[in-house]
Amino acid sequence: MHLLAQDLVNGILAGGILAVVALGFSLVWGIMNIINLAHGAFVMLGAYVTWQLFSSFHVDPFLSLPVSFAVLFTLGYLIQRFLINWVARAPVLTTFLLTFGLSLLVVNVALLIWTGDTKGVTTAYSGTNFTVAGVTVPWAKLYTLLAALLITGVMQLWLTRSKTGRAIRATAMDIGAAQLSGVRVAHIYAIVFGLGAGLAGVAGTLISLSYSLNPSMGQPFLIKAFVVCVLGGLGSVEGALVGGLTYGIVEAFASQIDVTIGTQHISGTGLQDAVALVVLLIVLIVRPRGIMGRATA
Amino acid sequence: MSAPAVATGRTLVVEALSAGYGDTQVLWDVTLRIDPGEIVALIGSNCAGKSTLLGAISGVVKTWSGSVCYGDQTLTGLEPDRIVRAGVLQVPQGRRLFGSLTVEENLRMGAYLRTDRDVEPDLERILGLLPRLRERYDYLAGRLSGGEQQQVAIARALMGRPQLLLIDEMSLGLAPVLVDSLIALLEQIHQTGVSILIVEQDVQTALEVSSRAYVLETGRITLSGPSAELLDDPQVKKAYLGV
Repeated sequence: MHLLAQDLVNGILAGGILAVVALGFSLVWGIMNIINLAHGAFVMLGAYVTWQLFSSFHVDPFLSLPVSFAVLFTLGYLIQRFLINWVARAPVLTTFLLTFGLSLLVVNVALLIWTGDTKGVTTAYSGTNFTVAGVTVPWAKLYTLLAALLITGVMQLWLTRSKTGRAIRATAMDIGAAQLSGVRVAHIYAIVFGLGAGLAGVAGTLISLSYSLNPSMGQPFLIKAFVVCVLGGLGSVEGALVGGLTYGIVEAFASQIDVTIGTQHISGTGLQDAVALVVLLIVLIVRPRGIMGRATA
Repeated sequence: MSAPAVATGRTLVVEALSAGYGDTQVLWDVTLRIDPGEIVALIGSNCAGKSTLLGAISGVVKTWSGSVCYGDQTLTGLEPDRIVRAGVLQVPQGRRLFGSLTVEENLRMGAYLRTDRDVEPDLERILGLLPRLRERYDYLAGRLSGGEQQQVAIARALMGRPQLLLIDEMSLGLAPVLVDSLIALLEQIHQTGVSILIVEQDVQTALEVSSRAYVLETGRITLSGPSAELLDDPQVKKAYLGV
């Protein structure tokens, strides 16, 4: 029983990070119909911004959250405005190739700057934890989850209550009608792409507390972001949160599975991704628009 | 139709305008003008190019040649937001509401470019004009009836403080009684000094409400003049009024 409770807690803690990783990816995909393959590279950049601030100036990773958001937002805004905007309404394959190339470029620039050596952010509270009813909770991961929930809450409020947030939702529904209301679509798209990159940067900061850093660290998170936003439903904050938590929990429980086929023994950690993808398939069969996705007319 | 108490706008002049999509030309040397405080009708059958002309004036359809001027300001080639800023707003065909936003959010989207302090008083004034929308204020726009949606579409454009309102196929799919109430609404809007270009397939209504009209056929203006004269024109009667 303790083991199940521990898995559940581990899953929720990991799911919070996945929700933030997927949130930016989901907004860009849902609103602009761009599957941003550079999202994982942006996550990596966010982690390195945090590492750089931590190792050079001893800035606590949580205090570096606004910095990594601002740096990545600016980068994302400029990339959209002056690069992707040229092909914004092109077929998906065009933006697919462009963002894939961008991803390679960013990863290789990171290799030049920070080399391929593994790095880590170890704070005073890394490795500390507390126990409740036999369930161990690492402080760093708990803070990370709380930060993730706060970020998704702020994003939801901003998208629903602010003038720009309203314009973003309107543009996603009908570009032409938004233009006739005076919305500059190129600017709105650049803000959305900037937000996507900024949220990836924030996710990178949170990830740096629990994972080691290297320039190709973003790739697995890109794939998870893809699964999480299909699982939760595209383009919505609540979809990313529910999808992220679901994926985290499924992955945590999957890690307990041990399978022996003949003489071949497969441990749970090796099966995590496979089980998560099977769950994705099941959800898509039952709810093709994801758990929180809404059918459109 | 009586003239408005105050005509605030400028004259819109479309001069030898050609436009289209891709390689397909839709408009050929279209010339028309709308003076301040006028209601002008643009009539024509399906696929005559009426919506393309409105799109070209609003900047959402690329102009190939010719010009669109509003007073001394050239609108040709401007981005749509600059044209909205100039006071030329469109109520598009099919209403084009933001269906998953509430009525309030749709109306506020109409004031997207405004930074003045009169947005709230304007909202109150428009809700006073359209009390039904006050009742539906928190409803999702996509859930409203056709008539209510058309009211939201017009109200959204009014929130942008138009000097010239371009209204595309307002009556499409609506019961005659609803069309009558919308026409009454247009007359109220016109009385506040807003010029109106009304694009309609319901030719009888369009000619009755306007002072002048243009007939657009396969992308060319083929006839123009005072609406009362066009109502009696044998060619218009035969082609559009079925008499």
